[in-house]
Amino acid sequence: MTKLSASEPIGNPGKPGPGETDSTRDPLTVVRRSLVRQVARDVLVRWGAQIGIVWVGLLVVLAVLAPVLANSHPLLMKSKDGELSSPWVKHLSTADCTLLVTAVAFVIIVLTRWRASTKVWLLLAVIVVTAITSSIFVKQRFTSPDTYRDRLKSGEIEWAARAPIPYSPDDRQLDDPTARLRSPAGRHWMGTTATGADLASNMIHACRIALSIGFISTGIAVVIGVVIGGMMGYYAGVVDLLGMRLVEIFSAIPTLLLLLCFVAVFTPNLYMMMAIIGLTSWEGYAVFTRAEFLSLRQRDFVQSAIASGVPLRSVLFRHMLPNGITPVLISASFGVASAILAESTLSFLGIGLGVDEASWGKLLADARSSGGTFYWWLAVFPGVAIFLTVFAYNLIGEALRDALDPKVLKN
Amino acid sequence: MNEPLLHIDKLNVAFSTSRGQVHPVRDVSMSVYPGQTLAVVGESGCGKSVTAMSVLRLIPQPPGKYLSGRIYFQGRDLLKLPEADMRKVRGKEIAMIFQEPMTSLNPVYTIGDQIAEAVILHQNLRGKAAYDVAEEALREVGIADPGRRLREYPHQLSGGMRQRVMIAMALSCKPKLLIADEPTTALDVTIQAQILELLRKLQRETGMAIMLITHDLGVVAENADTVAVMYAGRVVEHSTVHDLFDKPQHPYTEGLFRSVPKLGANVTRLETIAGTVPNPQNFPNGCKFHPRCPRMAGDPLCVSDDPALREVQLRHWAACHHIEGFAQAPITEPQLAYKRAETISEIPAEVLQ
Repeated sequence: MTKLSASEPIGNPGKPGPGETDSTRDPLTVVRRSLVRQVARDVLVRWGAQIGIVWVGLLVVLAVLAPVLANSHPLLMKSKDGELSSPWVKHLSTADCTLLVTAVAFVIIVLTRWRASTKVWLLLAVIVVTAITSSIFVKQRFTSPDTYRDRLKSGEIEWAARAPIPYSPDDRQLDDPTARLRSPAGRHWMGTTATGADLASNMIHACRIALSIGFISTGIAVVIGVVIGGMMGYYAGVVDLLGMRLVEIFSAIPTLLLLLCFVAVFTPNLYMMMAIIGLTSWEGYAVFTRAEFLSLRQRDFVQSAIASGVPLRSVLFRHMLPNGITPVLISASFGVASAILAESTLSFLGIGLGVDEASWGKLLADARSSGGTFYWWLAVFPGVAIFLTVFAYNLIGEALRDALDPKVLKN
Repeated sequence: MNEPLLHIDKLNVAFSTSRGQVHPVRDVSMSVYPGQTLAVVGESGCGKSVTAMSVLRLIPQPPGKYLSGRIYFQGRDLLKLPEADMRKVRGKEIAMIFQEPMTSLNPVYTIGDQIAEAVILHQNLRGKAAYDVAEEALREVGIADPGRRLREYPHQLSGGMRQRVMIAMALSCKPKLLIADEPTTALDVTIQAQILELLRKLQRETGMAIMLITHDLGVVAENADTVAVMYAGRVVEHSTVHDLFDKPQHPYTEGLFRSVPKLGANVTRLETIAGTVPNPQNFPNGCKFHPRCPRMAGDPLCVSDDPALREVQLRHWAACHHIEGFAQAPITEPQLAYKRAETISEIPAEVLQ
């Protein structure tokens, strides 16, 4: 291969896309033919990625709209004395508010024509601001026993527009003694759990945990891995030697064992789980980043950046990182899948999340009762959801690798 | 022109490798005066690039190490500056352009982003103003439609254009010294001539000094005022470009000139210097050139004693025992505040005829 073709970019550099030659706009805001765009285009044409993204997109929609889709509190109701109210709004949790506001802000921000970096910062600002304000102002009201069913029957509520699944995930239907472990039928179209809660409702609310644990724990692992790997690759020598030993120590211990130890020491809640999974899965990213940085630091453009007086932080993260992040990104999409699996495993073993957090792994664990009876609906629905989600992330990872790996491109 | 802008004084650089220490730069001294072009000539591995990188302290430490010597830039010893101060010198006072224009630009940022980064860093400008400076810098190096090029990525430019961009980037902060490490080696001949012409033009306009690292004697003849010839980590000859081409003193320099093809000469094979460049891990004893030297003729002095650089003629330094009167010649600081009148291409054609 000649030098020229080796430096050719991925994709088709010759054809400018629509809007890219628009010279009337400010040079800084003009749509750029950036590497990110090319990769995104390359990934999106692959059917695997499309299927994966559709499934993950569906999960995102379910996660955001969970309080509207599955809620014991009516969306709108009229009481006997003619008063209209929306009880579901009053019972939104901090997470519900943050998600809903973020989703609305996301749609608005995407539709604007600002610079990509402005959009990202704005979105982050919205998330932080809503998370803080809602955690201050939103008070969780424990009204689970109030299921409105009695009041509807007695006529105290004249009419109510209920959510498609009129059960909150923690609505244990204490008013109905036969509600426990019902197979899918009638209003409970995925059946009920051992506590009498609706499975479909739990499934929908558990999307959040599946998504957030995947992204956040992988995010933590990537940040740790990239920083440690970057240091090893850039400084080489003693730093590299010590870093690699640390990597070896961490990768010598089986992840599940390490997870069990962490869970035994710290009280597991959602955030702790994310941190624990993140802390035990960074080695791969560190090794990838190290290898990339080792070769990048010899590259001319890095030398040239140093020679023009760019500070170290900028050399590492502005000049080297974007050129060496590819293998990390690819393995991160597989990492999201394995983080979901790790959480499901721990929840299945009963040492994962707290009682009031819905999780697919926990639902799955209920499938086999202590008496030995097997409740198929508690195995099939969460099991299929876990499988499809892991599969979707693997498809996305595969497509990313195909789009980014020059070796695969040649064949 | 009486104070050198850059003065390298007996620089020694070593690298530690798994097979022991190598010592690719030994007692190298040279100076560059404001507005002057110093050419550093030599084969691959002679230490010329290491010397140039040392000026900006770009040698990775470890494995590299500055054993001794000083590098004075405007009176300050660069080797003693703290890293934060050194960063202010890099790019602002001393800029560097590299051999490979194809790989010297970051593929993920636009040309404008990369030039503007240096401008933002050193000139305290923000946003649009920095991009305006970048556009002006591109215009100065002769890139057509600079406003559009600013928004393009490196892969959209040709090699010659990229080298122009590199020069624009280096010159955007108006450095006092430009280190050009084989700036034309990777380019084809017509582009080479354009780039050299561009460097001369920019030097005339800005008055910056250039330290030109090259192995091409043609480039030296075109652009240099003074020349330092390096061999196996040492400066073996140092003089003005005219003296060097008229009466080379060192047998290595003579060999270099003999291996340049001459127009009209009726020879089938080019002459070469016998033997190969010694490996820095295993330099010979005594004069480093003696295994390949046509003058040596079994002289035991050449094997036992490495000659120092002596002023063998007025303003002409060389290091060879077999130069007449070498032992009596004084050892002086090689400093040459020489600036040639014009380069050949600037002399009007009718004068040459």
